[in-house]
Amino acid sequence: MKIALHVPCYINELNPEIARKTLLILRHFGLDVSVPKNQTCCGQPFINSGQPSTLPQQFNEIFKDYDYIVSPSSSCTSTIRSQELEVSKKMYELCEFLHDILQLKNLAKNYPKKIILHNSCHSLRHLLEGAPSELNIPYFNKIKKVLGDEILEAKRDECCGFGGVFSVKEGVISYVMGRSKLDDLISTGGDVITGVDYSCLMHLKGIAEKDGDNIEIKHISEILYEALEL
Amino acid sequence: MKHYELAVKFYKEKGPRHDQALWAIRQKRDKAVKEVPEWESLRQQASEIKDYVIENLQNLVDEFIKNAKNEGIEVVFAKDAKEHNQTVLQYLKEINAKKVVKSKSMLTEECGLNEFLEKEGIEVIDTDLGERIVQLRGEKPSHIVLPAIHTTKEDVAEILGEKNTDPTYLTHKMRELLRKEFLSADAGLSGANFLVANKGWAVVCTNEGNADLGAVLPPLHIISVGVEKLVPNMNDLGLFLRMLARNATGQKITTYTSIFGKKENGKRVIILVDNGRFERLNSEFKETLKCIRCSACLTTCPVFRRSGGHAYRYVIPGPIGSLLGPLCDKEEYKDLPFACTLCNSCEMVCPVKIPFSKQLVKMREYVTKENIALKLAEKSMHYPQAFKLFSTILRLTPKPVLQAALKEWSRYKALPSIPQSRFIK
Repeated sequence: MKIALHVPCYINELNPEIARKTLLILRHFGLDVSVPKNQTCCGQPFINSGQPSTLPQQFNEIFKDYDYIVSPSSSCTSTIRSQELEVSKKMYELCEFLHDILQLKNLAKNYPKKIILHNSCHSLRHLLEGAPSELNIPYFNKIKKVLGDEILEAKRDECCGFGGVFSVKEGVISYVMGRSKLDDLISTGGDVITGVDYSCLMHLKGIAEKDGDNIEIKHISEILYEALEL
Repeated sequence: MKHYELAVKFYKEKGPRHDQALWAIRQKRDKAVKEVPEWESLRQQASEIKDYVIENLQNLVDEFIKNAKNEGIEVVFAKDAKEHNQTVLQYLKEINAKKVVKSKSMLTEECGLNEFLEKEGIEVIDTDLGERIVQLRGEKPSHIVLPAIHTTKEDVAEILGEKNTDPTYLTHKMRELLRKEFLSADAGLSGANFLVANKGWAVVCTNEGNADLGAVLPPLHIISVGVEKLVPNMNDLGLFLRMLARNATGQKITTYTSIFGKKENGKRVIILVDNGRFERLNSEFKETLKCIRCSACLTTCPVFRRSGGHAYRYVIPGPIGSLLGPLCDKEEYKDLPFACTLCNSCEMVCPVKIPFSKQLVKMREYVTKENIALKLAEKSMHYPQAFKLFSTILRLTPKPVLQAALKEWSRYKALPSIPQSRFIK
């Protein structure tokens, strides 16, 4: 099984530790993982700004010879999956891959802190890694399964207000959405907020820092890295 | 003013209450939907019926016109808003109408009928409680099913000149005032939720029975309806009626669901309106024609709940309005597809499965003029070296400069710190 690590461009720039830890997690399970050095961006920031992009096609060229492409971002994963490309069905968000392909669960059951899961929209309502409250389908959540049963969730499974270009076009509404999401997450009584999209977490972290909330916010790969004692 | 400015203004005044009120309706909707075990398969069927309708629209229009005429209804086809308004006027002039009672119709809002008739000296009384409130306030509806959701009971008491703000008292007061109008109106105007092609019937759903009074009491009833409201037959109608009220307000069915054929005590006219719909059939936005105006996408939208409907300015706000607005006026409404985080909640609640996220992204492209900077940035991202250069520049830029460049972000949020090294060097 030949696996490629997708390194989302914003993670490479703003939190490269997430990429390193994701790689170590995958290798921990004995997988043959490569990191294509010529990868850049999946094209999402352009496509969502109304600028047509051929970056998904280039992504396809770079990654098409691998059996699976694993990404620590459901947002990039859903951009590629919504295209009709050879790689579309082979790309997985990290937890989705651990759940669907490696069939692992309860990896964070001995984690010393109470974990609060922020279900990002791309994970919940684009990739369907869980059951969104809008649909009449039985409850499930792949990320929770991978982490363990004791994971806390917000009352409203709505958007945190990041939305990429939205966060700079509509700063105020983006902030109030983030503020209510943060209040909801903190009210669960957990210690550390996590999620599969660092973009949402960066937004929530920015608000928490400016507003002086005392809460830890970590990407899921950082939680798994610690839980697996890597 | 654009969406982001109007949104801030509204949020400061009424945002949290508006969000709570609509979230409560979203929860009622979820509960009602979850009482139907086959809900998700109903959505699939509804989507397929609507695909059939838009693929066979001309045939269904012809079939409907033939059957409605046989039924004893006059049917007029109007190619645009102007033709629609002229047709309504002509029928009203025939009977020398001075006052009309109208029940809620988004199509007449789209055509600007009220303003048009008032210029012609005809008084138009909106009879839906919410619509009447916004009409008295000199506003437009802010939500397509809950037109006055942006107002409070105090607002309503104020426009009625009442001190008592009890909602039941105010509703009875409004009922008293409206009853006089119903009894003295020369004609009734309404929209329709569905048209049944093989019967020639029009279906109107309300919770107040106001459309029924307007349809029955005066000697003339005019129904204005967009061609996309057609459904092939009564079985299909049954499916949509099961879904509409549950998805809109969490009710099992609307309080009044009336099927209109021939009018026994006078004349019934149906004006079938195109107003760009047939043209849209051949565009990449044809799936917007599947919409049944249930309003669930508005109610669930986390941006709509905080910004209010008026921030969208177009007669239909929220996710569906962010698609329909720019199709009506690209320049005026070009901000709307960006008043969205692409969270996809709209697509999840849509009873006819309009692929909202894909359509909204396409709409962003449709409204975006060629942007050389963005185009160059996109091109450069194909080269890892160019990407690296960008990354170096980012690291050399002083923080205050970054903060100024990203002022919408940094006003409310701390900027993330930028680490010295990257993972892929």
